[in-house]
Amino acid sequence: MLFGRGKKNPIKIADKGVKEWKYATCGYCSTGCAIEVGLNEEGRAVSSRGVGNADVNRGKLCLKGIFEHELFESDGRGTEPKIRDSFHDDWQTTDWDTALDKTYSEIRRVQEKYGRDSVAVISTGQMLTEEFYTLGKLTRGIIGTNNYDGNTTLCMASAVSGYKRSFGSDGPPGCYDDFDQTDLLIAWGSNLPEQHPIIYWRMKEAQEKSGFPLIVIDPRVTMLAQNADRHLTVTPGTDVVLMNSMMHVILDEGLEDKRYIEANTNGIEELRAEVAKYDPVTAAKICGIDEDTIRAVARQFAKAKTAMQIWTMGINQSTHGSDGVVGINNLALITGNIGIPGGTSLSITGQCNAMGTREWSSCSGLPNHRLLENPQDREDIGKFWNVDPEFFPKKRGMFQTDIYQAMELGEIKGLWLIATNPMSSLPNTARIRKAMEQLEFCVIQDCYEDTESAQYGDVYLPAGTWAEKDGVMTNTERRINVVKPVIKPHGNSKPDLWIFNRMAERFNAEKKPEDKLNFPEKAADIFLEMGKLSEGRLSDNSGMTHELIEKHRGIQWPYTKQQAEAGEAPKTKGVRLYTEDATFRYPDGKAKLIPLPFIDNNEVPDNKFPFWLNTGRLIEHWHGRTKTGKLSNNNKYSPIPFAELNPDAARELGVIAGDYIRLVSPRSDAIVMAQLTHRVPKNMIFVPFHFHDCANRLTLGLLDPHSRQPAYKQSAVRLERIEDQEAAAQMSMEMRTF
Amino acid sequence: MFQVREDEPKYAFLQDKDSKDQNRYGKPIELTTEGDALRDQSLNINNDSDIGDNPNRYKQHGFYFTADNCIACHACEAACSEKNDNAGHIAFRSVGFVEGGTYPDYRRQNISMACNHCDDPVCLKGCPTRAYTKFAEYGAVLQDPDICFGCGYCTWVCPYNAPQLDPVEGTVSKCNMCVDRLEVGLKPACVSACLGNALEFGVIENTPDDRYQVDAQIPGFPDPSITQPNIRFQQTKTLSRDMKRVDSTAIKYHRDDDAGNYQPVLDEKHGKTKHWGMKTLLASHENAHVMFTLSAQAVMGAFVMLVILGSFFGAPVIESLQASNAKIPLLLIMFGLMGTGLYKLNMHLGKPHRFYRGFNNLRHSPLSREIAGVSAFFAGLAGYTFFNFFDNAFTNFLAGASALLGLIGFAAGSYYMYKLYRIKARPFWDHWQTASTFYGTMLSLGGLLMAVVGSLFMPNSAELIKYFAMIIAFGLIIEAFGLLFHAKDLKSGSGEGQAAHYELSTTFGKTYWLRNALLVLNIILVVVISYTSLSGIGGILVGLLLTASLIAMAYLGRIIFYALVTPTTMPGAFFWKNKGFVDHARESGLADMQQLGVAYERHHKFDVKELMDTVKENSLMDMIEQAKAIVTGK
Repeated sequence: MLFGRGKKNPIKIADKGVKEWKYATCGYCSTGCAIEVGLNEEGRAVSSRGVGNADVNRGKLCLKGIFEHELFESDGRGTEPKIRDSFHDDWQTTDWDTALDKTYSEIRRVQEKYGRDSVAVISTGQMLTEEFYTLGKLTRGIIGTNNYDGNTTLCMASAVSGYKRSFGSDGPPGCYDDFDQTDLLIAWGSNLPEQHPIIYWRMKEAQEKSGFPLIVIDPRVTMLAQNADRHLTVTPGTDVVLMNSMMHVILDEGLEDKRYIEANTNGIEELRAEVAKYDPVTAAKICGIDEDTIRAVARQFAKAKTAMQIWTMGINQSTHGSDGVVGINNLALITGNIGIPGGTSLSITGQCNAMGTREWSSCSGLPNHRLLENPQDREDIGKFWNVDPEFFPKKRGMFQTDIYQAMELGEIKGLWLIATNPMSSLPNTARIRKAMEQLEFCVIQDCYEDTESAQYGDVYLPAGTWAEKDGVMTNTERRINVVKPVIKPHGNSKPDLWIFNRMAERFNAEKKPEDKLNFPEKAADIFLEMGKLSEGRLSDNSGMTHELIEKHRGIQWPYTKQQAEAGEAPKTKGVRLYTEDATFRYPDGKAKLIPLPFIDNNEVPDNKFPFWLNTGRLIEHWHGRTKTGKLSNNNKYSPIPFAELNPDAARELGVIAGDYIRLVSPRSDAIVMAQLTHRVPKNMIFVPFHFHDCANRLTLGLLDPHSRQPAYKQSAVRLERIEDQEAAAQMSMEMRTF
Repeated sequence: MFQVREDEPKYAFLQDKDSKDQNRYGKPIELTTEGDALRDQSLNINNDSDIGDNPNRYKQHGFYFTADNCIACHACEAACSEKNDNAGHIAFRSVGFVEGGTYPDYRRQNISMACNHCDDPVCLKGCPTRAYTKFAEYGAVLQDPDICFGCGYCTWVCPYNAPQLDPVEGTVSKCNMCVDRLEVGLKPACVSACLGNALEFGVIENTPDDRYQVDAQIPGFPDPSITQPNIRFQQTKTLSRDMKRVDSTAIKYHRDDDAGNYQPVLDEKHGKTKHWGMKTLLASHENAHVMFTLSAQAVMGAFVMLVILGSFFGAPVIESLQASNAKIPLLLIMFGLMGTGLYKLNMHLGKPHRFYRGFNNLRHSPLSREIAGVSAFFAGLAGYTFFNFFDNAFTNFLAGASALLGLIGFAAGSYYMYKLYRIKARPFWDHWQTASTFYGTMLSLGGLLMAVVGSLFMPNSAELIKYFAMIIAFGLIIEAFGLLFHAKDLKSGSGEGQAAHYELSTTFGKTYWLRNALLVLNIILVVVISYTSLSGIGGILVGLLLTASLIAMAYLGRIIFYALVTPTTMPGAFFWKNKGFVDHARESGLADMQQLGVAYERHHKFDVKELMDTVKENSLMDMIEQAKAIVTGK
């Protein structure tokens, strides 16, 4: 045995000199991992680690969370407010008062000129809940535009809509503990290992113990799909047909839970009549899954003691997104798989606080799932906020996607864009660009100043990011967890809450003292105000405080004032909704079984555009890459846009691995590098959506009739080999700065 | 000591209760016996003198990888880079993959790989500076960047891509097994971070909970016989007969039913089109090696001819050259060439001012021995040159002694110059052709050097030209034979060899043919000249042409030798750890973005200050100790 040196030098191992660890909740996806940020002697954030005793992540983090501390000082962070007269001019650095005054007066000017709803406020799923609540109060209570929505329309709107239609309210009924309890898992259009790595780990831990079968429905052979017991390569956009056919088999063979249906649902006869049309032979021809498999999966699902279904964008981002969610709920309801340990339909949420915005932002109505359409809700909130209930619109306004169409028509002239980047994230970039160009006033509020949308801004407000701020977030399993301000915001940027409150001061100044609205300064106080508004409602968090949440490493709602006062400690895990019979949110307590007729309105490949374009995420990137595109230890795994292309198709096109290729859709084109793999079928390419001026130049994005969510995953393109590879590389490089 | 958190989850703690006595290679797992002097020493991690209380402290540890489970989430890599504070272009651990099958019957197998802390650490043996140590504690193979001079030889010999040569820092660094965590009973950071339940760690040959295989190999993993790596595998899912690499390496792994494993075979992934590849060749960081080996071989050849053929065997042509006024210019040119070559080579190091450390590992490293041999040769050449300015008994004796030193240096230096390329992980080099080319070049370029200088300084050089033309022809023929056999053996050899030959005939196909054509042409030309000699203006022109052609041929042949080697190593991913993408990023300018994780190759300055500091900080006794350690190995 060799030992090298006898006389050894001391071993050097990097020591980042962490002096203090501060608690936060991860600001990337909605898994809701508890994270600690390590600060060194100078107070710089130098390290991140998962909190060991937090039930969600149990000490683990994904690669994005592991480097989250690097975000604070990453490239492109905004440090000073900026203004300019038009987007053709250069930015001028200014002070906060000037920037905020201009924002206030321009919003009012546009509203006076074009009407109250001509200004749109588009927010996000990225902020903290108290910030959402405050923005909602400001927008609904004083600014008064009804065109207020968030980018959650691009990710979770179909889940919200589907839950509302089935159960009478939004709110995912299950939790991560269901993985530990279930006897069968179906993943619809969800690639956990890549999109929600920590939830995947929780699932894997559970599966290694109990060995439950996993069924994955996905047109692409993802890591989850290749490890599934069954992989159903469904034809894009036809999930509803598969669901209907599974229900056909279940009802036809009497495998349904008759007692549960009777006690908990309305509409079984209408459902039965509709699914009768979807016998497996007929359905197989539409959805691309053979009849034997449909039958086998339906039986396996129905016969499992408990069965859990999860889904993500494969369902939501479709013209049948909301219907797909309803279909999943239908399957769960007819087999009694709701509200029981291991039996649930759980939407795996996208952004870190998409749930928080669903609950508290007032985008789709009023706080805590209240509806503008409901006079009592308007009355209650009006009173609580000191707003004349008549000031509220009687119906919710436009969704983000519809706002952009209205912008194209010139109906929206002012835009307040908060922590979102439609130039990259909305489908059909060319249309979005035209819409942005015709705005009279646009204010960009973002923690990054280099978002592609900022090119159309007249005011730029630099916001703090993630753990520079104070507040809570809600995760996929309804767990509210807290983010503490770990360090002060970068440069002269300010927390979004501070910005909203300063804006509120300006709007409030218009009012007589007795008509003013109250905007508390501290997040913890706002949280208590929200708690009051939640009392007795489905998402009741009136028993929680920031301190209690941190102590328990997050608390699942509901946790009520009554429970807290009775000394009942919050449960560590396993809080579910609809655990008793007839406790759904429709007046009679019963859920609706909704028939789902299928109309194929997708753009499907044809002779001119013979490939399906499927878009999606990569584990190393977050959304438009403003965060991860700057961090080499995330970005390096996929630093430039690429397309997964089937090698058989590549051979016919004369394309070899690593070639730049041109993708052309009926909208525009994009240049990507070809990665050859049998992960995708011969008539499909997969392009990650993270890169600016790439996937969304091509997407059509037809809207779901219920949720208004775009169908990002079903477009048609053609492929062209590029002769001049050097020019293509150059072009690809020039199209984005990071 | 590393701080264990109060809420540290159970999975992060090492679990080994028992262990086997011997590993599968018959080596004891307990690395030192009770009472051995190597026991109960502090690892002195960051100068902390405490000793860890891990009960298995002296047992060989290793990683365990459940290949079925890895999802390529990169959490292991991220946790490693976060802990070790590594920039994006450095990775002590990285994940690549192989894939096979036809949609939807497709499977991708990810492979997460770091250092395997081998029983036979080729890095340790190869490193000329003795920057590596295999510790009795955990059997960890650790490398000290403060000793390293950045030659990168360890990155050539390691089959797993473990040592990371940082073009920015100019030194190598690598996986340290998280010995700080092991000391307090925690698993390494990468293992604790794994989200697929794929990575495990413990005493080698132990089977983790819920696992049953303890295999030494999976498809894509290099032949474990090279280094006896301390990693074990479980891989139960059925894979396709062909598992393909997605990086640019023209390799796939093909199931060998008889052997029961997968063997690397050629995958002609970019067709058969022939390119020049000249841009890549000219930009190659290995040009320093080309300059050095060619000039050293030319000078060595000339020197040996001068001394042995001339002084020893008394070849008339060389004796007349020795007696002529060409001798001093010839020696000066040789000295200059050799000096330039050595300078180029030294300045190609990441830390050129640490050159003196190249002798540290004479006991094991062929590179150290080459450096020592070449240094002795250079000293002998210098002495021989210097004393040839005088002519008396004393200086003649010293010239003779210098010649002897030069010859000894030549013997050792030239042998180890060849030997250091006989690397198992680099099948393209691991062939006797390396020797035939190197020694052939000594004859051809050495002969050329003497012929050119001789004909410049001697009035009647017709015989001299004929004589050296014959020697050049001899050298070229030796080289040509070697190349023929090399090409034949590559085509029928291992996958990496086949892949190298495939690149040779495609990516550099036109250059390869040009080199071969020049070789044949040059042989014909020198054979003719060896009969006819050269004279007149035409002779000068032909001579010049031949000189240029010989040099061009030698350059092309040699740069191909370096640029083309396809190592036996871990598969990369599509962007990450893909040589093809790294080359593209550097050529296109994409690498200008720091967050791309690709650093440009660069030269490093000779840091006189660091050198002077080292001289000041170390007493004469220290230096003597150091020199003694080279011999004793202590």
